Amino acid sequence: MTDYVSRREFLTLLGVSGGTAAAILAGTALGLLPGGAAAATLDLQMAGTEQRRIAILGGGLSGLTVAYELSKRGYDCTILEASHRCGGRIFTVRNGDLIDEIGNRQYCDFDDEPHMYFNAGAARIPSTHRNILAYCKKLNVELEIFVNENKTSYVQDKSMLGGQRIRNIEYTTHMKGFMAELMAKALDQEDLNAPFSESEAETLLGMIRSFGDLSEDDLYRGSLRAGYATGGFLEHGVQKEIIAFRDLLKTPLGRVLISANEGDTGPMLLQPKGGMDKIVEGFLAQVGDKVKYRAMVASVKVGENGVDITYDQDGVRHPLQADYCFNCIPTHLITGINNNFPAEYVSALKYVRRGEAYKAAFQAKRRFWEEEDIYGGISWMNTPSLQIWYPSHGIHQDKGVVLGAYDYGGGMYHTRMTQQQRIEAHLSDGEKLHPGYGQLVEKPITVAWHRMNHMLGCSARWRRSFSRGWSYEEETHYKTLQQPVNGRHYLIGDQMTMHSAWQESAILSAYWAMADFNQRIPVTQA
Amino acid sequence: MRSLKGSFLTVVLLTCLLASINAVCQELEPFNDRYCTTCHGADGRGNEGVQAPRLAGMEDWYLIRQLENFRAGIRGMHPQDIEGAAMQPMAAKLSDASIADIVEWADSWPAEPAGITVQGDVVRGEKFYAVCATCHGVHAEGSETLGAPAMAGQNDWYLVTQLKNFMADYRGNHRDDSYGQQMRSMARTLGDEVGIRDVVSYINTFAER
Ligand SMILES: Cc1cc2nc3c(=O)[nH]c(=O)nc-3n(C[C@H](O)[C@H](O)[C@H](O)COP(=O)(O)OP(=O)(O)OC[C@H]3O[C@@H](n4cnc5c(N)ncnc54)[C@H](O)[C@@H]3O)c2cc1C
Repeated sequence: MTDYVSRREFLTLLGVSGGTAAAILAGTALGLLPGGAAAATLDLQMAGTEQRRIAILGGGLSGLTVAYELSKRGYDCTILEASHRCGGRIFTVRNGDLIDEIGNRQYCDFDDEPHMYFNAGAARIPSTHRNILAYCKKLNVELEIFVNENKTSYVQDKSMLGGQRIRNIEYTTHMKGFMAELMAKALDQEDLNAPFSESEAETLLGMIRSFGDLSEDDLYRGSLRAGYATGGFLEHGVQKEIIAFRDLLKTPLGRVLISANEGDTGPMLLQPKGGMDKIVEGFLAQVGDKVKYRAMVASVKVGENGVDITYDQDGVRHPLQADYCFNCIPTHLITGINNNFPAEYVSALKYVRRGEAYKAAFQAKRRFWEEEDIYGGISWMNTPSLQIWYPSHGIHQDKGVVLGAYDYGGGMYHTRMTQQQRIEAHLSDGEKLHPGYGQLVEKPITVAWHRMNHMLGCSARWRRSFSRGWSYEEETHYKTLQQPVNGRHYLIGDQMTMHSAWQESAILSAYWAMADFNQRIPVTQA
Repeated sequence: MRSLKGSFLTVVLLTCLLASINAVCQELEPFNDRYCTTCHGADGRGNEGVQAPRLAGMEDWYLIRQLENFRAGIRGMHPQDIEGAAMQPMAAKLSDASIADIVEWADSWPAEPAGITVQGDVVRGEKFYAVCATCHGVHAEGSETLGAPAMAGQNDWYLVTQLKNFMADYRGNHRDDSYGQQMRSMARTLGDEVGIRDVVSYINTFAER
């Protein structure tokens, strides 16, 4: 569907379909600018003398957000967290940390240094995610720039150039050059350029030439942008040899390379100094005393006037009575908890699929990538390990932690392997990008979210079909779950947004729920 | 040539690396293997959300046999047995003491019948069930002597998955799994998925809900 539209737009732009294209009418984009860059405001009243008890199920980011905001307003909050730590999918792994994969417990053995950590879940914050950034500011979480796309990083595919790695900048420069040549040719034909005035066509052609670094005759003959073969400072730079268009087309990675810094990863990206869980620490500094750890919710019964909860801790079942409940336990785990939710609510819970994301990391004995002009960013390989991330932090230190695999869409391929098979796979994939890789890295860890205790998944998958968008059935389920049961039990978490897998979403789900809650509680006073 | 040398190097280095991993795997804190309820739900009631069956009410001897089978790689090794493949690595880590501990824990769970989610032709299912009754009992109450577990009150979606797995040879294909092998041929008598649903909807009639 999306494909079709964009292709037609392209043709229309070239004037092929005739008539005047809406796309080139002046002024159509006016008035579409997004609003000001302020974080959402949360206008909540203070707690009254009654209805003050709030149960928060799960110490994920959305649960912590509710605890922080409502405690500040005088509510009596209790967080029940099943695991030994809060943060859920915000998980920074350091020396001595337990990776509680069911059937594959690991302890991290990285050197015990501040920069030697791995963000096994959330890792990057787009500058447009205002609310998570606002909390970082409020909670004194120091931020630094996260380098996502790095043109000096590598691209490797066994089907391209005999498996030889090339720099991202070579791939993208040449690809853009060839694409620009095609566009320039198209614009050159009198009939195609008809919808444009002479000066518009001139501007467009100018951009196309600059996009692809075309030569005078609008042909692409290689570009110094792809890097010098030799020279460049004291002597004239010598252009690197061009790579044939056909060769570049041998890898499907071109698609991700050309769009790596678009969409969510388009804005400047940030990360907390010292690990993503500094955000969790920031919240816990405020509400840490409200958390019960290794407290696993066993039942949730919603009544007319409140919610009765039980949880297991230290082999004992405890009751907890609350007036309101905010629940960020993943949908696929809630279905295993005794409850009295309405049938359509349960059906909706069952509808949501769980994600399968998988990450792995190694400690690097030395920062070998910096020796190859790489500072931060991502190399891509057309293997199941898919990516290698170089840390944006700890520059010029002795060692660093590299991400050795990230499958964000699938993940089961590695999840199903034993720990040893996983490591073997990442080492042999990495070897193709960095000869001698096996010698350069050590102390592996793997994080298969599908098997992580108390998560058993990554991000909620609402849509059965990605290309077709949300179906009517999915929208209906979503609305069912967004409404609080009896006005008392709120489901929160990034699972309760249409944009899961982002911390911003988790916070906004909590905001939605708290705003709704605020309207239901008796008005205290102005 | 280059790549050959590379992969040889990888293998050698890997061996060293793996040696260092094992050191890391030593436990740094006391823990037990009571992980069951994360997947199998509170009180082992079963969780359709992750397709993990009800353990509450499962007979001790059956639980032990299945945990041992998983541990030994007799069950859960087929890549198409999706849930079995998730269970297998967990069981692989269990000691005999852990298994005994888990079984004791499971005994403490109230065995409430699971809810009904499967609809089928009960009359047709009853005919199919005649052959099942030989081992599993006329009320699907199970028989230790015959090594056949109870099915009454079990999650019906789980029974469907397992029958499909037996039928497709995803379960019961190991030479040391004699009960599973038996089930493979029995499952075939149901013909297809419709037959499976029919027999399961008949089994559903045994549990009081
Ligand atoms: C691999 C990966 C990469 C990601 N990358 C990014 C990124 O770059 N940027 C970004 O912004 N976001 C990213 N995310 C998403 C981000 O981590 C999540 O959106 C966010 O952390 C979800 O918060 P949540 O409130 O939904 O709770 P969750 O993190 O889902 O927490 C749920 C909590 O419930 C607890 N729980 C479960 N069962 C029970 C029970 N029975 N009783 C009590 N407690 C229970 C769990 O232990 C857990 O703490 C990524 C996630 C993953 C996994």
